Amino acid sequence: MPTASEAQLRNLLDSITTRLQRGDAVDPLIRQADEEQSDVEDIFELIQSLHASLTPMNPDQEYAENLRANLLEGRPGVAGRVRQMPARLSVAAILALVAGCLLLMLRRIFGSETAPDVPEEAVATPL
Amino acid sequence: MKNPFSRRIDYTALDEGQLVALAKEDKAAFGELYERYLPKIYSYVYYRTGNVHDAEDLTAKVFFRALSHISNYVEKGVPFQAWLYRIAHNLVANWHRDQGRRKIIALDEYVAYPLKTEAPDRLAEEQEERTQLLEAVRGLPEDRQQLLLLKFVDQMSNAEIGAIMGRTEGAIKSLYHRTLLALREEMVAIQDGDRKQWTDGKEG
Repeated sequence: MPTASEAQLRNLLDSITTRLQRGDAVDPLIRQADEEQSDVEDIFELIQSLHASLTPMNPDQEYAENLRANLLEGRPGVAGRVRQMPARLSVAAILALVAGCLLLMLRRIFGSETAPDVPEEAVATPL
Repeated sequence: MKNPFSRRIDYTALDEGQLVALAKEDKAAFGELYERYLPKIYSYVYYRTGNVHDAEDLTAKVFFRALSHISNYVEKGVPFQAWLYRIAHNLVANWHRDQGRRKIIALDEYVAYPLKTEAPDRLAEEQEERTQLLEAVRGLPEDRQQLLLLKFVDQMSNAEIGAIMGRTEGAIKSLYHRTLLALREEMVAIQDGDRKQWTDGKEG
């Protein structure tokens, strides 16, 4: 349980901060505090420093616009990216994709038949 | 699904609850929520990470995560704003865990506002003090850092902070008091360390 003076100081610091943020005068509170609490002045200086230093930061305008566009329009998937490419690159990308698929299919079909059998002697551990 | 009436709706006139309900099916409504909360979330993440690059990366993740989960969001005493901050808080916590280290906010990025009429040596002194203050803030436990950022950067009330941090208003007030006392000690330690370094350098 906090003591009465602790609770008082807690309320006072909170009031000082709120008034400072609103731009209201804090001197009466400080004077009142000085009579009741000896160490409130340096804490008040700290509050003032925090008030002056921790100011809002704005994001870069271009970043904000790009992020909004990405969020609302959605990020283009693979198909979208291919569509956005120049025509030559799109054709090349599609051809590469088709060739890759064909290669995989051919490997599946012929892979097991063409793979040479490994002779047992070749893998046997030498004595 | 796109709302067929989306073109007729003035999203800026809607309150948070209405926007959230619409945003479950209407991306334009989510766009308005994005506009309202981007600066706050970005500021929060920026001060927690200490650099623009990671702040941008994590802020984007926060909104993508919110967009993909908004259909499951049900307001049960946790306002949308608090929900968004919790996403940000979790992502930042993961980021710190992955980094395994704490960065110090770059001075050139951070200190931007001093008055031009002030003397250069006074400016340098103020910048030094501000750097020390941030160093001290970043040395605090996570919940205390979060409290200070929500209180000073976002200027939230104790009730709003309590909703985000899952604590009562009284608990926030108490945490704030303890945080200030700890920060004061941390500042004294940093200043003493700097003074000692300066003296050692002079003697050595």
